[in-house]
Amino acid sequence: MTKSSAMMAAAIAAAAAVISAPPAQAAGTVKIGILWPLTGNAAAAGQASKAAAEVAAEIVNNKHPELGNLPLAATEGLPNQGGAKLELTFVDHQGNPSLAQQLATRLITQDAVHVLMGAYQSSCSFTATAVAERYGIPFMVGESAALNITGRGFKWVFRGTPIASDYAATYMRFFEDMKKQGKKIASIAVVNENTDYGTSVADSIEAAAKKNNIPVAIRIPYSASSTDVSAQVLQLKEKQPDVVIFISYTSDSILYMKTMKNLDYLPPMVIGDDTGFSDPSFIPAVADVAQGAMNRSAWDIGKPGSTTSKINEMYKAKTGRDLDDTSARNMQSFFALADALNRAGSTEPEKIRDALTKTDLKPEQLMMGYNGVKFDDTGQNILASTYLIQLKDKAYQLVWPDKAAAAKLDWPMKGWKQ
Amino acid sequence: MRWGLPALAALLLFYPFIFTGPFYWDIGVAFLLAAISASAWNIVGGYAGQVSVGHSMFFGVGAYTPLLFYHLWGLPPVAGVPAGMLVSLGLAVAIGMPTFRLRGHYFSMATIAVAELIRIFVGTWELVGAAIGLQGPAVGRAWWDLTFRSELPYYYIFLAVLAVVLYTTFAVERSRFGYYLRAIKAGERAARSLGVPVRETKLKALMLSAVFTSLAGSLYSIKTGFIDPESGFGILVSVQMVIVAALGGAGALFGPLIGALILVPLQTATNTWFGGGGSGLTYILYGGIIVLLARFEPGGMHEWWLRVAPFLARRSHAA
Amino acid sequence: MLLAQVIVGGLLLGAIYALFSSGLTLIWGMMNFINFAHGEFVMLGMYVALLVVVWLGGGPEAFGFAAAFALFVLGVVVYLSLIRHVMRGPMLAQILSTFGLALLLRYTAFWIFSANFVSLPQVSLSGTLNVAGILMPVPQLVAGVAAIALTFALHLLLTRTTVGSQLLAVAEDRNAAMLMGIRPDRMQALAWGLAAGSAGIAGALMAVSYPWSPSVGETFGLTAFVVVTLGGFGSVPGAMYAGLIIGLIQALSAYWFGPIYKDIVVYALFVALLWLRPQGLMGKA
Repeated sequence: MTKSSAMMAAAIAAAAAVISAPPAQAAGTVKIGILWPLTGNAAAAGQASKAAAEVAAEIVNNKHPELGNLPLAATEGLPNQGGAKLELTFVDHQGNPSLAQQLATRLITQDAVHVLMGAYQSSCSFTATAVAERYGIPFMVGESAALNITGRGFKWVFRGTPIASDYAATYMRFFEDMKKQGKKIASIAVVNENTDYGTSVADSIEAAAKKNNIPVAIRIPYSASSTDVSAQVLQLKEKQPDVVIFISYTSDSILYMKTMKNLDYLPPMVIGDDTGFSDPSFIPAVADVAQGAMNRSAWDIGKPGSTTSKINEMYKAKTGRDLDDTSARNMQSFFALADALNRAGSTEPEKIRDALTKTDLKPEQLMMGYNGVKFDDTGQNILASTYLIQLKDKAYQLVWPDKAAAAKLDWPMKGWKQ
Repeated sequence: MRWGLPALAALLLFYPFIFTGPFYWDIGVAFLLAAISASAWNIVGGYAGQVSVGHSMFFGVGAYTPLLFYHLWGLPPVAGVPAGMLVSLGLAVAIGMPTFRLRGHYFSMATIAVAELIRIFVGTWELVGAAIGLQGPAVGRAWWDLTFRSELPYYYIFLAVLAVVLYTTFAVERSRFGYYLRAIKAGERAARSLGVPVRETKLKALMLSAVFTSLAGSLYSIKTGFIDPESGFGILVSVQMVIVAALGGAGALFGPLIGALILVPLQTATNTWFGGGGSGLTYILYGGIIVLLARFEPGGMHEWWLRVAPFLARRSHAA
Repeated sequence: MLLAQVIVGGLLLGAIYALFSSGLTLIWGMMNFINFAHGEFVMLGMYVALLVVVWLGGGPEAFGFAAAFALFVLGVVVYLSLIRHVMRGPMLAQILSTFGLALLLRYTAFWIFSANFVSLPQVSLSGTLNVAGILMPVPQLVAGVAAIALTFALHLLLTRTTVGSQLLAVAEDRNAAMLMGIRPDRMQALAWGLAAGSAGIAGALMAVSYPWSPSVGETFGLTAFVVVTLGGFGSVPGAMYAGLIIGLIQALSAYWFGPIYKDIVVYALFVALLWLRPQGLMGKA
């Protein structure tokens, strides 16, 4: 017994020395710590967002006058901070909320970052933002859906993207519009993957549907790692809703479309709640069977030569793929953060926080289709909004709301039929 | 090596002052947590040889109850700790009685299945947050909410708990109960024929193990301030306990500590060096090392040490 | 009508479960060894299929064989380099070794192929058959039938050939087999090869219809455990029936209670089995 404790005593010192030392600090930089899942189940999304953030940093740090009204694009670095450049430190929380907490602490105390951003999975956002709140460091949530990330009375947490209740409200408005145009919407179905993302959004949709007197024929929670979804599709076939809303990740979204074709079930309309439906592998995999499927997105590549198109080109050059909605939303939150950092004129947390609360970006300054960026006192962007897009051929086209629409909405959807 | 134990104690006590700063303290806390859980598992898995790969059921119960007490009744999470231990105790009895009839692999499979069942069920139960999980107080209302900004208080609380678990294990080792455990591990039938009350002993070992594992879970959720089905009841939680104990040496008092000492810094190091690159190298390394250790030193590092220092080695557990 | 549809779907998937579990039961019955990495063999089979289709432009027959062969080799290598040495050790070492192996395989796949979900590009099998109102997608149908055929073939291999009886002899009594001039080591390596190979083909068959990523191995592994326990350790016919039954139960539970509950039902069944009839349907008591 004393044997092993001696060995242990000696080994503890050796083991701890293995850990890396804190990095050197460069002068004249503003450091942003970013927590994303770079390995594990959500790694694809994490990596895509990482590339997006790097493109955004490149835009801010260098002169890009061709990007028009985008804040900080034309200048090099942050003008109000003497041209200080943004320096990004990425960490991989692997989807583990405890690790996210640890890493947030490390970023703040060891790497001395000035602000934080993240974290994709709501569970990780919960713990990482709690750390930021405790230490008094601003945290920009790029895309986590759970409602009460900004509902806990925190002062240091801001969220740039719309939340679950926003999406639900958007869908309801869309249904109202469709009904006015004479389309039948007697009932809807909600199919959601059952982790925090799917559950939050599905709960919001159910609540909104109830308020708007639209019956929910069936709600089907399922596990995203299911191999086979035939049972779900057959349940839908039985209920015959007029619209099916899918809140799914990538492989399940693809699986649903394929299974629906196999089982010859085509509802009048399918709406995908972003995520899986926006993944770059979705269209190539199921374009032939999911024609007319709708999706929500606040991101639209736009016409060639537009700012958004140029940003997409930069992203494509880096990753070989088009920018997807989730990564784009992260990118927009990043720009909002950079804008606030610039207006703060200093790296003091309180000043940055103050600048964030005073954020007021106009639609023309954004890359996303929001009505603006303005945070309420819970830190939520109240001007965030979303479009609805539809799959036509091999790409999504903006079809709603009418005033922004680039193409006509096809209802009912064609699916695999000619 | 009389100075071994005091040296160890001193090192653990003063570690936060030797390696300062929240980064190192966090590693220390992670190490202690891994050591506590693995030591708890060790009682039934190492000493009695009943390899449970479903201990997350106790960990999860212990992790959920404090946050549930906070979520439902606004009580400080600590208030939920004893409740968690009690529920775990009941669970151990309920699961142990039918499951201990099974031998070897069957037992392990059953524990995996029960833990998975509980995980899935909790994921659908609205009262405990279903798939979204539960949160604790982010900013404490008073000191007893135990939401410290610094890792330091957590470190010492965890260290105290570890001391309790280790001392209990030590006492067990030296008692008749410990003798029964070793007899059972060596061979159940033979033990029974020697008059060892096999079923009763196994059950008691599981109960003791469950209570400590539950405590570990509570510590985890109080510190992290968040729990969901995956982090509480996931299979990786169970497997980590087993691996940490086995790597260090299951059935040895300090085995789990040694295992935690190897694994926790390793995890942190690979995540730090490679993590940002996101290539999964962390786990490749982790897996590779586990395989190598299993292949070349199945008895764990403790065995290796005993072989490597033969002139100083004395059997740390008497036959 | 819909219920019949559910049943057929469940059986077809169950057939694939049967295939990859039959290998696991062979090892388990033969060597009393739990293989936590079995799900990863299935996952790797899926990737081999992808490589064959994408790089070599092969068709279904090609990638089926490729997966079988590649995984067979892997199984033998794993046995010779690792399993052989930990087999006699404490069960703890067994668990550690294959769990570590599972991590190694899963994350190596992750490193090489990334975390993105992938699916096979359109292969020659497509379309849906309509038999008496029941829709059967051709890829799933072919996969299910092939799986049953292969499982049956494995069973025949074990019971009707010399090699097979040698394998079974080692399973039953290692020492007696040695006395008869059979080399247990070789037989066990062969068993691992067969087990991994059948897992690989099962993966390749599934790859035709379902998307996957490196993390799918975990679920398949657990499913295999359930099937093997239900069927009885060591019994390939048992695994066949059990696979079909589990596939059926899953599909029916998902349809009647909701997809979330299908796993609860399967696991509850599993636990009840362990407590009431651990030898399963056809295992040795």
